[in-house]
Amino acid sequence: MRNDSERTASAGRTASADLGPALTETVVVAPDAPRRRRRWSRAVSLALLVVGAALVLSFPFIAPNPYILSAGVVILNYAVLSTGWNFMGGFTGYISLGHAAYFGLGAYGTGLIVKYLELPGFVAWVLAALVVVAISVPVGIAALRVRGASFVIVSIAFVLILLLVFQSWREFTGGSEGLIVPRPFPDLLRPEHHRAFFYLFAGLLAAALVAWWVIDRSKFGTALKSIREDEDKARSLGVPTTRYKLIAYVLSALVTGLGGGLYALWFGDLDPIFQFSILIGSYMVLMALLGGVRHLFGPLLGALIVGIALEYFKLEFGDTQFHLVAAGLLLGVVVLFMPDGVIPAVGQLIDRFRPQQTSIRDVSAAELLEQNRRSDASATGAADAREASGEASTRDASDVSDASDPKEVTR
Amino acid sequence: MSGPLFLQSLILGVLLGGLYALLAAGLTLYFGIMRVVMIAHSAFLILAAYLAWWFNRETGLDPMLSLVVTVPVFFLAGFAMQRLLVSRLKPLTLTMMSVLLTFAIALIIEGALGFIFTGTQRRIQLPYAGDSLDVFGAQVPVVKLVAFVLAAFALLSLYLLLKYTRFGRALRATIQHPEAARLVGIDTDRTAGYGFGLGLATAAIGGTALSLDATIYPSLHWHWIGPLMAIIVVGGLGSIPGAAIAAMLLGISQSLLQIPLGATWAQTVFYVALFATLMFRPQGFFGGRLAQRF
Repeated sequence: MRNDSERTASAGRTASADLGPALTETVVVAPDAPRRRRRWSRAVSLALLVVGAALVLSFPFIAPNPYILSAGVVILNYAVLSTGWNFMGGFTGYISLGHAAYFGLGAYGTGLIVKYLELPGFVAWVLAALVVVAISVPVGIAALRVRGASFVIVSIAFVLILLLVFQSWREFTGGSEGLIVPRPFPDLLRPEHHRAFFYLFAGLLAAALVAWWVIDRSKFGTALKSIREDEDKARSLGVPTTRYKLIAYVLSALVTGLGGGLYALWFGDLDPIFQFSILIGSYMVLMALLGGVRHLFGPLLGALIVGIALEYFKLEFGDTQFHLVAAGLLLGVVVLFMPDGVIPAVGQLIDRFRPQQTSIRDVSAAELLEQNRRSDASATGAADAREASGEASTRDASDVSDASDPKEVTR
Repeated sequence: MSGPLFLQSLILGVLLGGLYALLAAGLTLYFGIMRVVMIAHSAFLILAAYLAWWFNRETGLDPMLSLVVTVPVFFLAGFAMQRLLVSRLKPLTLTMMSVLLTFAIALIIEGALGFIFTGTQRRIQLPYAGDSLDVFGAQVPVVKLVAFVLAAFALLSLYLLLKYTRFGRALRATIQHPEAARLVGIDTDRTAGYGFGLGLATAAIGGTALSLDATIYPSLHWHWIGPLMAIIVVGGLGSIPGAAIAAMLLGISQSLLQIPLGATWAQTVFYVALFATLMFRPQGFFGGRLAQRF
């Protein structure tokens, strides 16, 4: 589908003389932004970071009762999973709806190793993470052979298979009766147990965020983002796309699996229906999208919003299925109206009150195409405006016309 | 495996394959029209099954009569969904975002069904539920036969509609080359909407056929979407004959494997086929050139 955008864009460019900048990722615009403001905004984000970290660290002491504390643990767990998902979804643009598979594998791996090998909980946790990596490599190789729709299908199929296997293989996994994981700290009382795991989850989240931040600023991260923007072009520029995608996929599975293993040690009772539910996978996507997949703290923010909302719906509507409707509505609204997430939406709002835009900004291929199209429409006049925007153009880019391009046939 | 038992599994496999074929045809139709993977397809299937069950409980009439209402309603719902929701998505990210959008719709349907009808398992009690025909020693339940005939009839109508009517030609032209279709005067937007409507209409028929002899509950659709998506990938995304052939083959394999492996493990045949297809032939086995890019 990315090819088509490219083809449409280049076709448009030849049609009329000047259509603005070429199709690149970073566009230099108005290089006269005062340096003072940049330093100021850096200070603000640093302050926000410190305040946020302080809030997280002091939460177990602020929390009025163990229930609120356990809700905090759940939300941190969601944040870990969603950040893990974002290693794949955010950098490469491959949306996996089946990441619950790695959540479940991490959890069940930990539980089964504790049960059968009788190792201490945290050793089992690390071993389970290695198992997750070992499984994610072949699955990743198979899944990453295809793009777009097929990748999503494979990711869903994978979690459905695992659900089937873990439910049916009763002798080994305990099937639908579930699996009890002994607590790693047997002498702690319940609130203290929650508190210990709150900090463990916070540590894991911090490690994941640092890893994401490092990749985001590295050459590797740039290569992954070039895959997101235009995979074929990235490949033709020498980015080893298959290997990089696989590394991102395995990293993503690792973080998600670590989150799952910690969940198993914390919660202590596993059930295939919950561990391998597509719903968990879709929550990860929803949180990351809601917060903003291109931002470090996007998934964390999304987890905060969605996690609190889910707890509220469970309290308010109890055991009914109403939380599904709410999650579905929220996901639909996010996809339709703010596919880039809350952080960019708020950022745009703030930008409106600023005198001008910053010097260098990221422009995605999609936005650029929209810009070109808009300038095209205004250039050719009102008669063609309808054709160039809105529904008519939907066809242009979604059109996968024919096998005229030999390169794409062989892929 | 004894002769009659084999024959019975084979027949049951064909009957099941017919239903799969109809549903997979709908799913691959959406993909052909707009490159949309419609996760909510099986949720609409279960919705139709619930409507048939509810109709039967309220009126006591045969659940198949509910088709008179559900098919047009689903057709309109599909048309509205394409025109109002799917076509609003940005073209560049359409495939991914449409997956999420239809996923959201599936969640809403599942949640609403659970909210209105509760999670209790439901089943229609038909007067002819226990009857079966004797075919060379194999026992073939009448309800399954009725469901198959319904599905086969719908699939045949869909085929004839696409092949021989003016609208079918317009729809196929839209699938093959939207720009060229617009050039010759086809209103591709409206045609795509009708195509979506047709897809949902197959879900209505399939759901009614399913409700005849299956126990239904709100989260059942997850058990359907996996096999259906495996079928359309194996058959080649966008190809209706490919989907039908793959559905038949996999339905028969599932039915035959149920004897040595049991019902749960037999389901894995879909996923094994899916992964094998991706490893050896990512564009699918029967698909046309449409599938190659995905």
